[in-house]
Amino acid sequence: METAFFELRGISKYFAKVIANKDVSFSIQRGEVLALLGENGAGKSTIMKILYGLYKADEGKLLKDGKEIKIDSPKEAMELGISMIQQHFSLVPAHTVTENIILGNVQGIIDHKLFGEEIKRLAELYGFELNPNDYIRDLAVGVQQKVEILKALYQKTNLLIMDEPTAVLTPQEAENLMGFVRDFTAQGNAVIFITHKLKEVMSVADRIIVMRAGRVYGDIKRAETNELELSKLMIGRDLKWVTKDDRQESLDQEVCLEIQQVTVQEKTGVPALKDISLTLHKGEILGIAGVSGNGQQELCEIVCGAILPTKGRVLLDGEDITERKIRARIDLGIGYVPADRSSDGMIMDMSIAENMLLKSSYDKKWQKRGFIDKQKLNQYTLQEIQEYSIKAPSPETLARGLSGGNQQKVVLAREVDNGEKVIVFDQPTRGLDLGAVNHIHQVILKERAKGKSVLLVSTELAEIFALSDRIAVLYKGEIQGVFNSAELTTEKIGLLMAGFREGEVSNDAG
Amino acid sequence: MINLLSATIMMGTPLLFGALAEVIAERTGMMVTAIEGIFLMGAWAGFVGGYLSGSLMVGFLSAMLAGLLVASLYGWICIYLKQHQVVTGVAINLLIVGLCSFLYRVIFGVPITPLTVNPLTTIPIPLLSEIPLLGPILFNQTILTYIIYVLAPLSYFMLYKTSIGLTIRSAGENPEAVDVAGINVLKVRFLTVLLAGVMGGVAGAFYSIGFLGMFTTNIIGGRGWIAFAICFLGNWNPKGAVIGTLAFGFAEAIAIYMQSIGNSALFPNELFIALPYIMTIVLTVSRKSFSVPAKLGVPYLKEN
Amino acid sequence: MQAKLRDLLITNILAIVLGIAASGLMLLFLGKNPLNAYSVLITSVVRDGYTFADIFVKATPLMFTALAFAFTYKANLYNIGAQGQFYIGAVIAAAGSLLLQNILPGWLVLIITLLLTIVGGGLWGAFVGFVKARYNSNEFLVSMMSTYVALAIMNYSLRTFLMETKAEYPQTDALAASVWLPRIIPGTRLHIGFVLAVLACVGVWILLYKTTLGYRIRAVGYNAGAAEMSGINAKKLYILAFFISGALAGVAGFTEVNGVQHMLVQGFNPDLGAAGIGIAILANGNPIGIIFAAILFGALKVGGTIMGQMSGIPSSIIELMQGFVMVFVILSYFVRTWLENNREKRKLQRAVAK
Repeated sequence: METAFFELRGISKYFAKVIANKDVSFSIQRGEVLALLGENGAGKSTIMKILYGLYKADEGKLLKDGKEIKIDSPKEAMELGISMIQQHFSLVPAHTVTENIILGNVQGIIDHKLFGEEIKRLAELYGFELNPNDYIRDLAVGVQQKVEILKALYQKTNLLIMDEPTAVLTPQEAENLMGFVRDFTAQGNAVIFITHKLKEVMSVADRIIVMRAGRVYGDIKRAETNELELSKLMIGRDLKWVTKDDRQESLDQEVCLEIQQVTVQEKTGVPALKDISLTLHKGEILGIAGVSGNGQQELCEIVCGAILPTKGRVLLDGEDITERKIRARIDLGIGYVPADRSSDGMIMDMSIAENMLLKSSYDKKWQKRGFIDKQKLNQYTLQEIQEYSIKAPSPETLARGLSGGNQQKVVLAREVDNGEKVIVFDQPTRGLDLGAVNHIHQVILKERAKGKSVLLVSTELAEIFALSDRIAVLYKGEIQGVFNSAELTTEKIGLLMAGFREGEVSNDAG
Repeated sequence: MINLLSATIMMGTPLLFGALAEVIAERTGMMVTAIEGIFLMGAWAGFVGGYLSGSLMVGFLSAMLAGLLVASLYGWICIYLKQHQVVTGVAINLLIVGLCSFLYRVIFGVPITPLTVNPLTTIPIPLLSEIPLLGPILFNQTILTYIIYVLAPLSYFMLYKTSIGLTIRSAGENPEAVDVAGINVLKVRFLTVLLAGVMGGVAGAFYSIGFLGMFTTNIIGGRGWIAFAICFLGNWNPKGAVIGTLAFGFAEAIAIYMQSIGNSALFPNELFIALPYIMTIVLTVSRKSFSVPAKLGVPYLKEN
Repeated sequence: MQAKLRDLLITNILAIVLGIAASGLMLLFLGKNPLNAYSVLITSVVRDGYTFADIFVKATPLMFTALAFAFTYKANLYNIGAQGQFYIGAVIAAAGSLLLQNILPGWLVLIITLLLTIVGGGLWGAFVGFVKARYNSNEFLVSMMSTYVALAIMNYSLRTFLMETKAEYPQTDALAASVWLPRIIPGTRLHIGFVLAVLACVGVWILLYKTTLGYRIRAVGYNAGAAEMSGINAKKLYILAFFISGALAGVAGFTEVNGVQHMLVQGFNPDLGAAGIGIAILANGNPIGIIFAAILFGALKVGGTIMGQMSGIPSSIIELMQGFVMVFVILSYFVRTWLENNREKRKLQRAVAK
């Protein structure tokens, strides 16, 4: 057997409260595409950060071409030809494409024009369309990713590590990325990509490493395995999946929430939402599909009252609530589980009980003679902790001390209670382990059964298909179409997400 | 009027030293809230060094060293120990107030008449200082002003046209990007803070040995904070800092002039003394948007 | 939990001790024996009732300015203008007292003046909150600058309409005895203002931790974005927080003018604001902790004054002690985090080894 290009042997890493990696060993060959598969929290990102020099391993060693190496910083990793593109890009939004690429790769006085031309040529070589003078903050996420890749190529990388690269891409853009990966490895380079998506793994990887709870549970060639086996290795047990068949047919046809020709115009440029009209019925889940950044955030905020539309109306049970702000809407029974709980939904430095109070602090029910009725609040919180199986020692535990899944459960518990009529879920299961994902799906379906209107925004098509009665696709602030979920296929929805309109997409596409 | 403008340039010089230093450090994400203490320490060290050695040069070198020491304490606590920048700055400022007063007493006891040195004299540049109007205003100043004439455009060039400048600007916007590019973020931040110490020390010494010729405990009187404000109002850009400094220098020059004339009922002295501060408030309120470095004030943490 | 509390107490006490020790070492430069100086200090502080009571006299305004900083700090706002709000409060207290002292009975004047200082200090502070809410200005800078403006206003008033009838110095006439804050311990300077201060600390604590308003202020302080998304009007709270903060600092002006000085002079208590910030930091923003921290700083002040009266020790020893204590307290924050991380790591390694 030829010597591996890079090898990890017996790597372990401990953080203050958790074992991130334990005795991890695997290798990668030149020209190989290796997938690092596992659910969120399995330790995949950590092990790659060790290879990239961002973290230092507590045990074990690294080898290149059979020789032991020390990687103490990304600089040393880059000198060895390793580059990593993380989930959160290491780009400076306020600077240009050129400035970002040359950061750390240039000395002395900078000739911006010269570098700009060099970068333009490199981009063309790989078929990327980039303007070197564009500011990163003005670029779409998919284009930003190209800048990150270009930066790695500029540094002459031989081993490219990508962390969840397709999370921010349409299915077609993901295809293009996979094409690039194949070309890149054909030249003798290697690619490791970290993912939790089984389909992706089966389509492009040569070999798969499955990780769970910090350890390696599988090292298999793609040709010798299948999705079911990988899924079992990933989770460690069988999981009863929520599928379409579990759900009853949509009951009520009564309209609950209406969005009528809503436009949201920021001060400059393109409107975030353009003439959107949607209706939600009672006891229905309306799924909103689309790549992040096409107006989903604004749609959610229109419903919950964080932004008011420039044009158009929002009606609840026939009543015009367009001018009502957040607090009024909470009182009307609209719940909102935001995509980013740490910035919009929770206060990490407060206790679970205090977080439960967040949306109802004005409500008399929590007040006793002018002061907070702590007893009542704690009791309520305990109830919710039990009902949602939140793993926490007490209602006084700080939110920061909970795992991501448990934090999301707290938000869920609160919003499900608040949202007596409508609940908006924005990426409710992002970053959570499969157990939590399943639990949350069950909660969403239960609320539907209670007759509430549910708006489900998600970039995970599997989730959209599994839960939605109807699906709308958002692209650049416009609705590309609203369909019954049975009418759509992955391919068709992918085209809609990429901007094709209903008429342009033939029914036998894909 | 010419005197007023000339005084503007003179009084603006230390402010610009401080503001430029603050701009460079804040671009990496460090709010040097200890700047008032650095100024004061510089004033003290400048006087002590200058008086004891008889040479103003030694005085300024001592001021630079003292500023460096204060800045390194601030930098160590905020960058390496990851403590809160505002809290640390306030603590250090308080300490320096006590320290300067105390050490002055240690060295000089309680002098019967205040100790003085001969402050910096203005040096007219031959030919240039004879240009009508601009000549006496711009080219009949102290050596410090001539130095700042070079430092201001130099810092602009450094910040926007060199790799160090790119690194500095990136460190305050997205330190992860800089880290991943293989550059030691903490070192970059620490070095800019040290630079702020050196330049702030010189600025403080201007007041004691460059202008007044003596040291008192409230000689700085909030001017370190004005340099801090100028950085803010100048939108973290050396160009803006220059404009801001001219405005404040002018306000200060007017204050000094009006006080020499005497009090009037309509324009009391206190109004002019308060003018720079009122100006800051008005400017802070009226500006629509600021390009605050994204990670200003946030300590850089790597492993959680 | 126990370990954390133990760490907190030990490191804080250690920080205070080290701070005092460091300033003691500085005394060596003067050729003075620090042990000597400190022993004299301690004995004179506890032997004499007047001196001992003075600790609490000094602590009174410190509690108010510390509360002022801590209150807005809880909302993640920086009120650096407590010194200025104090000046405004002092001007109003002096003006109100002088104006009304011959017209109304003393106790009524005191109540009216107290209310006026609350409103005056509050409005002066609320201005900062207003520009923050409306224009998103940097409240750090605006509040700091407002102090210098307040100082100018105070100096101007002392030179003109508040000036003593003798017109010799920039200061007011002495206040009539009827409008002096009553002494609670005869033979000392300890006046009812101290009780007011302690009540204020308790009141702020109750407000912050037991009411929904306090909850909302803390929520905004931790995460203004999440609070806004939850229907809480952060901007209104900014203004309210600064009003309360300014009012608290203003009352310090009332206690000092009507309780201690019985007049208003230029340049008195110039470091109340900065010391208040230090105390708030030492107490980690906790109003009950502020009571104790203020008493500590009060003791340092009284001790420093005594040491200053001893020949050869300058009064700047006070700022030195305060400054050193503050720096060591900041270092103790770091030490506590480091200890906590180590403890967690060792716990984990023990669990892994099993």
